Amino acid sequence: MIETKKLVKSFRDGEVFTEVLRGIDFRLESGEYAAIMGRSGAGKSTFLYQISLLDQPTSGEILINGRNTEKMTESEQTRYRLAHFGYVFQDYALLPELSATENVMLPLLMRGLTGKSARAQAEQSLARLGLKKRLHNIPSHLSGGEQQRVSIARAIAHHPKILFADEPTANLDSESSNTIMDIFAELHKEKQTIIMITHELEYAKRAERIITIDDGKIISDKRNSSK
Amino acid sequence: MFSKYSQNVRIGFFLATKSLRRANPWTTGLIIFVMVLTFLNLVVVSGILVGLIEGSIREWHEKFTGDVIISALDDKKYIENSPNLIALVSGFPEIEAVSPRYSEGAVLEANYKTKKETEKPNTAGVQIFGIDPESENNVTGLAAAVTEGEYLSPDDYDEVIIGQFLLSQYVPVEDPNFAALHDVGVGTKIRMTVGSVTREVTVKGIIKSKVDALTRNVFMVDSQFRSMIGRTDGNVDQIAVLLKDGADPVSVREKLKRSGVERFAKVQTYADAQPKFLKDIINTFNMLGAAFSSIGLVVASITIFIVVFINAITRRKFIGIMKGIGIEGSAIRLSYVFQSIFYALVGSIIGLVIVYGFLIPLIDAHPINFPFSDGILVAPLPQTFFRIGLLVFATVIAGFIPAWMIIRKNTLDSILGRN
Repeated sequence: MIETKKLVKSFRDGEVFTEVLRGIDFRLESGEYAAIMGRSGAGKSTFLYQISLLDQPTSGEILINGRNTEKMTESEQTRYRLAHFGYVFQDYALLPELSATENVMLPLLMRGLTGKSARAQAEQSLARLGLKKRLHNIPSHLSGGEQQRVSIARAIAHHPKILFADEPTANLDSESSNTIMDIFAELHKEKQTIIMITHELEYAKRAERIITIDDGKIISDKRNSSK
Repeated sequence: MFSKYSQNVRIGFFLATKSLRRANPWTTGLIIFVMVLTFLNLVVVSGILVGLIEGSIREWHEKFTGDVIISALDDKKYIENSPNLIALVSGFPEIEAVSPRYSEGAVLEANYKTKKETEKPNTAGVQIFGIDPESENNVTGLAAAVTEGEYLSPDDYDEVIIGQFLLSQYVPVEDPNFAALHDVGVGTKIRMTVGSVTREVTVKGIIKSKVDALTRNVFMVDSQFRSMIGRTDGNVDQIAVLLKDGADPVSVREKLKRSGVERFAKVQTYADAQPKFLKDIINTFNMLGAAFSSIGLVVASITIFIVVFINAITRRKFIGIMKGIGIEGSAIRLSYVFQSIFYALVGSIIGLVIVYGFLIPLIDAHPINFPFSDGILVAPLPQTFFRIGLLVFATVIAGFIPAWMIIRKNTLDSILGRN
């Protein structure tokens, strides 16, 4: 479903030229749950940004469902992300002036749902994540764990083909982190494709594939035998 | 379900309403306050400038010409066939009152009894109006302008009322073009010469007004004046006409013309009779007002620009996130445009209430006391709405540009806060 060929991403800062991704070949099938691990600066977040179309690679190819994304305009990429991707960010990335429901509604409205349908779908998504009593709270009135669950509700409300999660438990305590991991496990059971970056081996082990990146290259790609 | 454009409008509106609802009320209040000030600057500055002249025109209209003024043809000394004309005009159903006036140039002289032979006579050239006191008062309310002494009565004999600027004590700065009489007040006898006829008259009252035609001239009872100028045929020089409430001066003027009045006299509405320089001044003041207002407009635009720029730059991360999850940049830009429109419209609505609900009635009731007119605030609604349109347009542009500058930045750079 997602495939990269010789994916390279480099940055130039004045005279300094840094190659963060150095020719990554990668393939993820529909319905897979992959955890990407690696030390800080290894290039895992950069890799996620490339395959989730938030950034443009320096060279190489990204194919999603066989479509080469190289020639997509920014606007096409935006529409593609809206239609097919869901994102969970490390710092929740909720809009502070919107309530939990409104945060989840936003991409649904953008997809053309009426206000009423968007609200109903958003509330359903939030209820599924145990936030039925927090529908009208703004992010600052929610705990970190609750905010991350709102973020997940927003990411899955429109049934995306792929869910990208960038260290979703980094700012959470262990109880909240486990809740988030349970949610991901449940989503995976429903055949949701998930790519998650994590530093925690304990959480990575809950995925069916564990990919390790170091120095801009995939150094290991193992099937989790317990899954 | 929705086209891409209407979709973006919908999302833009959704984001704008949420942003405004949860914005800091003090910040919102301050921005709206700036918009109100801008609106007032747009409408009131030129409104006062034009009102200064409009006030003068209004005084001239109400206190001298009436709604319609009939005067002698340019090549005639007086209005021929005046008695029939007055009868015709008085018979029109739109007419409330008419005041026929005789008018002739004259020289006034004061202090002639105490003047030494070597001294220059204290004289002033004036226009004398012979009026029927009651009719004149019905048309122009002249009695109210007599603030010292008394107004004329029909049976007054050799008595006049005199404009304040013919008396030196009321002239703030001596003007070599307008001579004034010294030591003349109510009860003083002065000498009045019309052509070859000289008569001694007593000052019965002093007219104080901001209308030159009243303050630089003299009024006396028509029967007295007729005997001085030797006119016995009843032909007058002017007829001031007051219309009933709601009657249109232009249609009355046209009706008079159709009745054949034009053969004997010139028929003008009060607006036709305005001196051209007043119309020119109004145009000039309108231009000046527009120039001052445009400065206000620029200030308002800069305010909105700064507010939106700061808002967008501090929310750059969230803008990046929105783009990241698939919200179109144009929808986010529209949210800023809608917020700008909101500020401009709310500011304008409050400004409208202040101007039309408070300032105009207040200034109408208590006109601004300018030396040559009682200034009013002139703000015709179509012009005001045009200015609101200008304000909204300027703020839309001022809101759009900074939003566009921030939103067009790379999505990931915005999310990560990279430059």
